[in-house]
Amino acid sequence: MANTLRLYLTCIRNTLDAAMCLQNFPCQEVERHNKPEVEMKTSPELLLNPILICRNEAEKCLIETSINSLRISLKVKQADELENILTKKFLRFLSMRAEAFQVLRRKPVQGYDISFLITNYHCEDMQKHKLIDFIVQFMEDIDKEISELKMSMNTRGRLVATEFLKQFM
Amino acid sequence: MAAIEVHQFAQCITCHAWNSDHSMVAFCPNNNEVHIYKMFQDKWEKLHVLKKHDQIISGIDWSARSNRIVTVSHDRNSYVWNQEGSEWVPTLVILRLNRAALCVQWSPKENKFAVGSGAKTVCICYYEQENNWWVSKLIRKKHDSSVTSIAWHPNNDGRMRCKLLDPTFNIDVLGEKGQTEGLWYLLPEAPGFFLQQHLQMENAECFPPLSEVLIQGNQKWARLQIQNLERISLHFNWISRQSIVAVMDIFLLNQQIVQLDLSFSWAFGVKWSPSGNTLAYVGHSSVIYFVDDVGPSPLAQNVAFRDLPLRDVLFVSEKMVIGVGFDCNPMVFAADETGIWRFIKFLGERKTASSGSKYGSQFSGAFGKLYGQSKYGVSNDGVETSRTSGGVHENCINCIVPLREGNTSRTTRFSTSGLDGKVVIWDVENQEDLLDYL
Repeated sequence: MANTLRLYLTCIRNTLDAAMCLQNFPCQEVERHNKPEVEMKTSPELLLNPILICRNEAEKCLIETSINSLRISLKVKQADELENILTKKFLRFLSMRAEAFQVLRRKPVQGYDISFLITNYHCEDMQKHKLIDFIVQFMEDIDKEISELKMSMNTRGRLVATEFLKQFM
Repeated sequence: MAAIEVHQFAQCITCHAWNSDHSMVAFCPNNNEVHIYKMFQDKWEKLHVLKKHDQIISGIDWSARSNRIVTVSHDRNSYVWNQEGSEWVPTLVILRLNRAALCVQWSPKENKFAVGSGAKTVCICYYEQENNWWVSKLIRKKHDSSVTSIAWHPNNDGRMRCKLLDPTFNIDVLGEKGQTEGLWYLLPEAPGFFLQQHLQMENAECFPPLSEVLIQGNQKWARLQIQNLERISLHFNWISRQSIVAVMDIFLLNQQIVQLDLSFSWAFGVKWSPSGNTLAYVGHSSVIYFVDDVGPSPLAQNVAFRDLPLRDVLFVSEKMVIGVGFDCNPMVFAADETGIWRFIKFLGERKTASSGSKYGSQFSGAFGKLYGQSKYGVSNDGVETSRTSGGVHENCINCIVPLREGNTSRTTRFSTSGLDGKVVIWDVENQEDLLDYL
């Protein structure tokens, strides 16, 4: 792994460690409601300043925090159109199965490829450092996964092309 | 080790409270129930489950003398539980709130309790004998946001400066003129009558009439309503000290004494020192605030620390404060002779290896690269995993409760509970380096 990626991930890890200080907090505007404030944005005083961590123009991570929830949005590197399509399809596949991941948001925040929503309930059920490890591991794996997909795509394309051209020999 | 007992009661605990002799503990296991456990021969057994609220319980307080439990919940209600025989009987308290109740505390005399709420208000509730009913009064001055923590001043009610030994004493009601409407005074009947004769008010617009007479126990109380005054002087010459103490039972309902805007982030966990001279609270920006001379010209100190923010604080003595929070490990703050507060240490032991890996990672990673990555393990190229806290608590501590023995102002034992479902009892008596501050 490139050294810059490690710095990028360490930065995200430390930011998440500081940002993931969530607590149960009922809605101030609606009776008997308890919703993630980072999504509802009902009162400005319950939101903290969002943090944007960029590795380069194509890869960035936005961390928005509120009193009872935290939203992490990732933009994954897409060098060419093929990577673009692969990323889109792959992350869509994951987002469709958001229940299985618990912290995954069904729709990414605009301008990003995938978003996670961590609420105080997740922090109660799961260990905080494991949650952070999961996010960082995810970011690490997604790049690998996509380059692997790209490779197998190329290999397969080459095979298909060879098979197809065989008939003209 | 400062932690002397660790009990795993549930998956997750939101708040807990002890009875007077610390043989029973009541806690909320992060749902709408209160569980009461009692110690039987070194084993905790579940005695009661109090089930009346609809939503998660946000605050519990157990009064030591009257043995009553008050609970508040996100469902906007509060119950006062009285033990009758082996049963706990609830009494509903209509708080008249339209948002969740967040915190509750009995007053030091246990005749009232205060509830902070998401409706940005605080209510003071007291018992009305004749109606057999808890009455809630809202403080009209609204906060800008939810009230997350409440602390009663040790003198029970508001801030009065009283010289008890002096036969003449002044009650200075600090506040804006015209804001004292709804200020209630409870006076014993006979001295009250005497007081009525001798009450001298500097700028009272009308003489306060005796508006009601209450019977509380076998004592008769008169209640006066006083409006529009800034300062009352009460003159006593021959009344016994007992009645003077009784006069001090005052509801201050509409008085804001001071507003502190020290924290630019959320404030939690406010507490008074045992003498009531110092106020401590924490901000979400990893800062703890100490305020002396709470009044028109307060003196404040900010102590910033490098770890995760705190959720709650506790005064162990006048010079020592324990803070608990997201770092899962109680922190000790203490004041030196000059009154300067600073961070002393973590109370729980940490595994040094885990904390070392966090801060030394980049350095050792670079070393690993230099020496061919053999010495420092295989995961050199990966990102190091997060440290675990390594302390007694594994998740955020959100509640700290003193375990007072008798009538001492000093508390050496206290208990903490957190989102990991543990209740831990700590003792600072055996910590040699902290003895100076006790």
